[in-house]
Amino acid sequence: MKRVWMLTAVLVFMSLALVACPGRGGGETGPIKVGAIFDLSGPTSDVGTPYAEGIQDFVKWLNENGGINGRPIELIYQDYAYQVPRAEQLYTEFVQQGVVVFMGWGTGDTEALRGRIAEDKIPFMSASYSHVLGNPAEAPYNFLVGTSYSHQFFIVLDWIVEDWRARGESGTPKVAFMHHPSPFGLSPWEQGGEKYARELGLEVQPFEMPRGATDFIPQLSQIRDFGAQYVVFQTVSSPAALALKNAKSLGMTDVTFICLNWCADEILIKLAGDAAEGTIGAFPFTPPTLDVPGMKDAREFLKAQNTTLEEKGVHYIQGWATMRVMVEGIRKTIAGGQALTGENIKAALESITNLDTGGVTVPITFTPQDHWGSKGMRLFKVENGQWQQLTDYLYVQ
Amino acid sequence: MECGVYFTTYKDDMALRRKPLEKLRLALFAALVVIFPFIASPYWLNLANQIALATIGAIGLNILVGYTGQISLGQGAFMAVGAYGAGVLTARLGIPFWLSIPIAALITAAVGVLFGLPSLRLKGLYLAIATLAAQEIVEWTVVHWTSLTGGVEAMVIPAPRILNMRLNTDFRFYWIAVGMAALTALFTANLFRSRVGRAFVAIRDQDIAAEVIGVNVYLYKLLAFGTSSFFVGLSGALLAHYRTIISWERFTLETSIVYLAMIIIGGLGSIQGSFFGAAFMTLLPAFINTAGRALQSTFPAIATVLPAVQQSIFGAIIIFFLIVEPEGLAKLWRDIKNYFYVWPFSY
Repeated sequence: MKRVWMLTAVLVFMSLALVACPGRGGGETGPIKVGAIFDLSGPTSDVGTPYAEGIQDFVKWLNENGGINGRPIELIYQDYAYQVPRAEQLYTEFVQQGVVVFMGWGTGDTEALRGRIAEDKIPFMSASYSHVLGNPAEAPYNFLVGTSYSHQFFIVLDWIVEDWRARGESGTPKVAFMHHPSPFGLSPWEQGGEKYARELGLEVQPFEMPRGATDFIPQLSQIRDFGAQYVVFQTVSSPAALALKNAKSLGMTDVTFICLNWCADEILIKLAGDAAEGTIGAFPFTPPTLDVPGMKDAREFLKAQNTTLEEKGVHYIQGWATMRVMVEGIRKTIAGGQALTGENIKAALESITNLDTGGVTVPITFTPQDHWGSKGMRLFKVENGQWQQLTDYLYVQ
Repeated sequence: MECGVYFTTYKDDMALRRKPLEKLRLALFAALVVIFPFIASPYWLNLANQIALATIGAIGLNILVGYTGQISLGQGAFMAVGAYGAGVLTARLGIPFWLSIPIAALITAAVGVLFGLPSLRLKGLYLAIATLAAQEIVEWTVVHWTSLTGGVEAMVIPAPRILNMRLNTDFRFYWIAVGMAALTALFTANLFRSRVGRAFVAIRDQDIAAEVIGVNVYLYKLLAFGTSSFFVGLSGALLAHYRTIISWERFTLETSIVYLAMIIIGGLGSIQGSFFGAAFMTLLPAFINTAGRALQSTFPAIATVLPAVQQSIFGAIIIFFLIVEPEGLAKLWRDIKNYFYVWPFSY
């Protein structure tokens, strides 16, 4: 019988602990609740972890410096391991807890949630720059701070055409598109990218990078048979680095590899080493190799933590900058003397014109018809293990 | 003074609720279930709905594994068929949600029978591997049949409505989920008082003996797969309408294993056990999450290791319960009841 008592005691304790925990709060003066989901343990956690730190640290920095008109931000967040059902579950839970805005992560989950977001009227900034999320007719409460994947792809394709001509080659180049096996990976291809490439007269073909693959030699061999001179990656750093290493071992030295923003980072160089040399990266957010005024706060904050921005990398800057734009919307709402409702914050965000991010991005502009906040980005190139600036800001034509 | 349960007629012995105390407990439980949504916070209602849906799925799996003795690793696949069935019927074909649920459950039953065919020749671990194939095949189909399911993109289905009233709010859906769970429990309780149910149990206990006494083993095994999958599909279809966003990630092999864990921890071959297991496996991660989030605000440094810690605690608690009570929470509940039934004069 002892065991019965013991187990009963454990169960009773657990139920009590459960009852005690979640509560509700908020109001006109208390902390402002912001919901967030991060990928800290899933297939995109390599880039998800620094992004999450950027958001958390910005909130800490802001609260240390007086919050928004004296009101601190309470960030309610959890890891969702890149799983759509968990994202949906956590989103619902956090909205019930009274968050006024939400910081999301993946393409699959943000696209699936966009109907619910519009219904709940929760301004939502995701780290997914899927093009459709910037269209208020399709996703009225979603805002993109980074350049959309489709725009990134268009700009890269334009650059390829130019580069091809600059090399003095004739004919048209062949471009392989290697992508993550998810809505994220397919987003730029399906949302206008394939069509645009064909309009430019390029020969393009998509190649999926399978989940959990230990090498991409089969895909790269296919790409070699296809005869691509350029390979565009739409994936995160770890698989891209693996593919670069495989390409090196296959001797594909005459192929130019280009990363869209989620694999253009320091992690790629660290993981791929020599194989990363010569890789081109799309940077809607300025990496720490360029020191711009917009990074000053983050640099000082990190100095106090005995670390550096160089160590945290570009995705940290991205998280920091995205949260900053969201806070700007909240600040404008409060400054306008309005209640912190989703509708008011949305209107405040839509009134942001040419917001200066201190050189971290191009100036951000939202309008009621256009939630693509940034339409420009720079290309960088890996030289001697460092991202070096290759072009100035390029825009969608 | 009673010191045990002794019946003098078959009628008493066969009754669904055999003792007055059981009737009282049932009445109390029913009253609690009815009052609960009016006093609970949305967070708790959400958990209650999850438990109700998991109970339906767990009872379904228990019919197959606990009562008929056919191990299945295909639970996630069958839930996927139910969920995507309901999703496709409503989102693509425009069938009303209340009609889509039974149709999806019937489709799942048919798929269950199909993947149950190997059970005619395979037993035990071999059958487990055959059902694992079902899991993989269905998962692959869901991810790659893009025109039907949307592939890796999540399928968004319209919220269920009756007379323009949205039914998938936690409060309204509670009644649907709990009602369905109650019906499922009632059906299953009666199933195992019937000829068919007893045939299932006979197959579990000794299939050769069952055949000798005249049970058509092939027929009843397939029937068990069909019945089981029907409820699993029902659970999946309800889940689809509740969450309105479905994606393949919800129905992986992990789901199959979690459900197996549910019925093992709850109690194999027990309806109560299915409920206990479902509640346990839903509340435990919720509890660990809440505790983790509370700790997170005090010790921010643990945020990055939290997911791993949570998984290990989850595993450790399951092992603890299995060692202490291998026959599950249902047995534990029985022990408690028996203890108090004859208290204080037990011997």
